[in-house]
Amino acid sequence: MPEAAEPAALGRVLVVDDASLVRLYYRDILQRAGFVVDEALNGIEALEMLLRNPYDLLIVDVNMPKMDGLSFLAALRGREAPLRAIPALVASTEAGSVDRAAARAAGANFYLVKPLAEDVLIAHVKVLSGRPL
Amino acid sequence: MPLVRRDPPNSPSPRPTIRAGDLHAPEPERRLAAVDALGETPDAAEYLGLALGAEGVPRVREAILAKLVSLADAGAAAALAPHLRSDDAGLRNSCVEALQAMPAAVLPILPALLRDADPDVRLLAAEIARTQASETASALLAAVLETEPHPNVCAAVIEVLAECGTAGAVPALRAARARFADAPFLPGAIDIVLARLETGS
Repeated sequence: MPEAAEPAALGRVLVVDDASLVRLYYRDILQRAGFVVDEALNGIEALEMLLRNPYDLLIVDVNMPKMDGLSFLAALRGREAPLRAIPALVASTEAGSVDRAAARAAGANFYLVKPLAEDVLIAHVKVLSGRPL
Repeated sequence: MPLVRRDPPNSPSPRPTIRAGDLHAPEPERRLAAVDALGETPDAAEYLGLALGAEGVPRVREAILAKLVSLADAGAAAALAPHLRSDDAGLRNSCVEALQAMPAAVLPILPALLRDADPDVRLLAAEIARTQASETASALLAAVLETEPHPNVCAAVIEVLAECGTAGAVPALRAARARFADAPFLPGAIDIVLARLETGS
């Protein structure tokens, strides 16, 4: 008799943020919403994880040590498909139009200003990963 | 006997003169050489700070940052601090890391950075405080938390307090918990830090 299959996750999300409490916050919300969540502390770690695992969505901070979020996105968009096509939500404390434009130029699909309310985060993650609201 | 002209025994080999102005030369190699040569120059940090904002070649930028970190004095900290306002996220983050690497040099200007009019600078200053001694960082950041109106600056402060906060920060954390009770993220994050500080874990 086959084992009962685990409920399918809505998708796999990689959170790229150097702030441990922010990663914990996203993980808690997204796991309760049905997503599998992995974490990277900076762009370099994220690039390594992307080579090992398939992801449906990236949530990326901007200000991070070693490799900031925009450099990470620019590097990712320069890779081969399917890596370059993974949707990316940039969530930053920077609220200026210059920052939004820089994120778009680097390859962000959407830009949100922190702090993110739970319903806002879930809605954007579902939209960007192609899941029904 | 032929006349043979010899260099005096201890004469230095001819080297091109390198000036501080070469920090803005068109050739990256010349700029790199100028960074190397600038160590003994008076006001070296100020020259390097001015060059840093204009430098677009990563290896030259890294050399400038490394030279400033090696100087690690008040001049170096003062030369790095203005770039916390840069529109270039990479440069901002590099300056945060450089200032973290010189805790004694940055300490005198850290209170002013934590009170800067620009919340983005205050946020980065909180991150710079991470490499201060725990008691120092905790006291500086608790003082920020008592009056800071911007939730993202508070979030950065709380993140650092989670790592190096001491019991002295508990009253400020509790007050911020009450002030931001309806904000997203902050109440839960503060609860985690308070639990850590109160249980000593």
